[in-house]
Amino acid sequence: MKEKIHLYVNGEEVFAEIAPNKTLLYLLREELGLTGTKEGCGAGECGACTVILNGKAINSCLVMALEAAEGEVFTIEGEARNGELSILQKSFIKHNGLQCGFCTPGMVMSARALLNRNSSPSRDEIIEAMQGNLCRCTGYESIIESVEAAAQGEADIVKLYALDLKAKGE
Amino acid sequence: MQELQYFKPKCLSDALELLNKHGKDIRILAGGTDLIIALKDKLIISPNILDIKAIEELQSISFSTEEGLSIGAAVSLNDIINSNEVIENYPILVEGAKNLANSLLRNRATLVGNLCNASPGGDMLSPSIVLEGIAEIASIDGTRKVPLKEFFIGVKKTILKENEIVTKVIYPFIKGKGKYLRKSRIKGHDLAQVAVAAFLKSDGGLNITVGAAGPTPVIVKVINNIDILKNEEEIIEKVKSAISPISDQRASKEYRTAMVEYLTKQILKELGEVV
Repeated sequence: MKEKIHLYVNGEEVFAEIAPNKTLLYLLREELGLTGTKEGCGAGECGACTVILNGKAINSCLVMALEAAEGEVFTIEGEARNGELSILQKSFIKHNGLQCGFCTPGMVMSARALLNRNSSPSRDEIIEAMQGNLCRCTGYESIIESVEAAAQGEADIVKLYALDLKAKGE
Repeated sequence: MQELQYFKPKCLSDALELLNKHGKDIRILAGGTDLIIALKDKLIISPNILDIKAIEELQSISFSTEEGLSIGAAVSLNDIINSNEVIENYPILVEGAKNLANSLLRNRATLVGNLCNASPGGDMLSPSIVLEGIAEIASIDGTRKVPLKEFFIGVKKTILKENEIVTKVIYPFIKGKGKYLRKSRIKGHDLAQVAVAAFLKSDGGLNITVGAAGPTPVIVKVINNIDILKNEEEIIEKVKSAISPISDQRASKEYRTAMVEYLTKQILKELGEVV
């Protein structure tokens, strides 16, 4: 027996129907077609299914879909804007933060949640925030570098924007 | 996962009614990091789940020196780690919480859930016991308070009745210093092989509790007014005689015993230096 659910996914209002025994991951992938979010272990060990729910990075395989009702979900599909990859995504490419790419959507979402609440995280803060995301290819170093560089890149954009506003006298 | 019905009441009295009505056929869903895995693996069969996260009175952390610290059943571990009142007054809870899994899970997992799951190695159990925490338990018959040292009765077994829920944990404000150390194979992705928590009260009392060294947290008899540096060996002997570790996939009995001794020594050294 399905139940109605109303929530926001990547800023868009979503009305769907879902059985109460389905996870948020299932809702995203199978009902909404957002297959960027991956299922790895299905038990909260690997972080491949990481999405941001109400501002916090979580394992979507360990959240029932109905728990997200009226909530705000961000997935990897919401990271690029208007067809252009975000600074964070470009940084992963530039710094070789991925090889096979399976863990990458989860990595990017954990990093996004961190940068949203802390725009200049220390290396230790990055490591702590990414601790739940496993990668079998890179050895992590390049991932941490990608996030560090992205934090710097985002900070530079904010500075440029502020300078621009100042120049325009706003 | 089996078919189930999902309930998310907004007030505690509705939740208590549901618990009373469904008894063993309903399970409480807080963070879900234990329950959802168990439902997927069919280790738990329950036709109903009760999500308690919409109940306002279960969502808060409050502190005063008179009342102590109160943490509601829906409060996540990361909320505890980030609470200034906990950091300042109960740092051992932060140490416990930071050892539990990883940041993704801690955004969901709750203190009360970790206690009620009652895994002998649960990272919040030993710190909560040495802090002399008290569970506030509610049912439609009323509320009762049970000290956490009497709460655990076996592997994954507590004194909770089918129609009861732990609404919050209260930690009295006791002056002193605590320390929690645990050993695991992989940081962030494994349960403790063993864990030791100790709290040295300013009045001289010493509480020690060992996790994953018996079917329940092992509470070592309180030692009063003891110079812990001078009596280190005596204390370690007391700890060793209290534990009953087993060999399993995480560690052997011998390794556990050796690590309990080592961790206890480290903790005593650190606490001893403060006095």
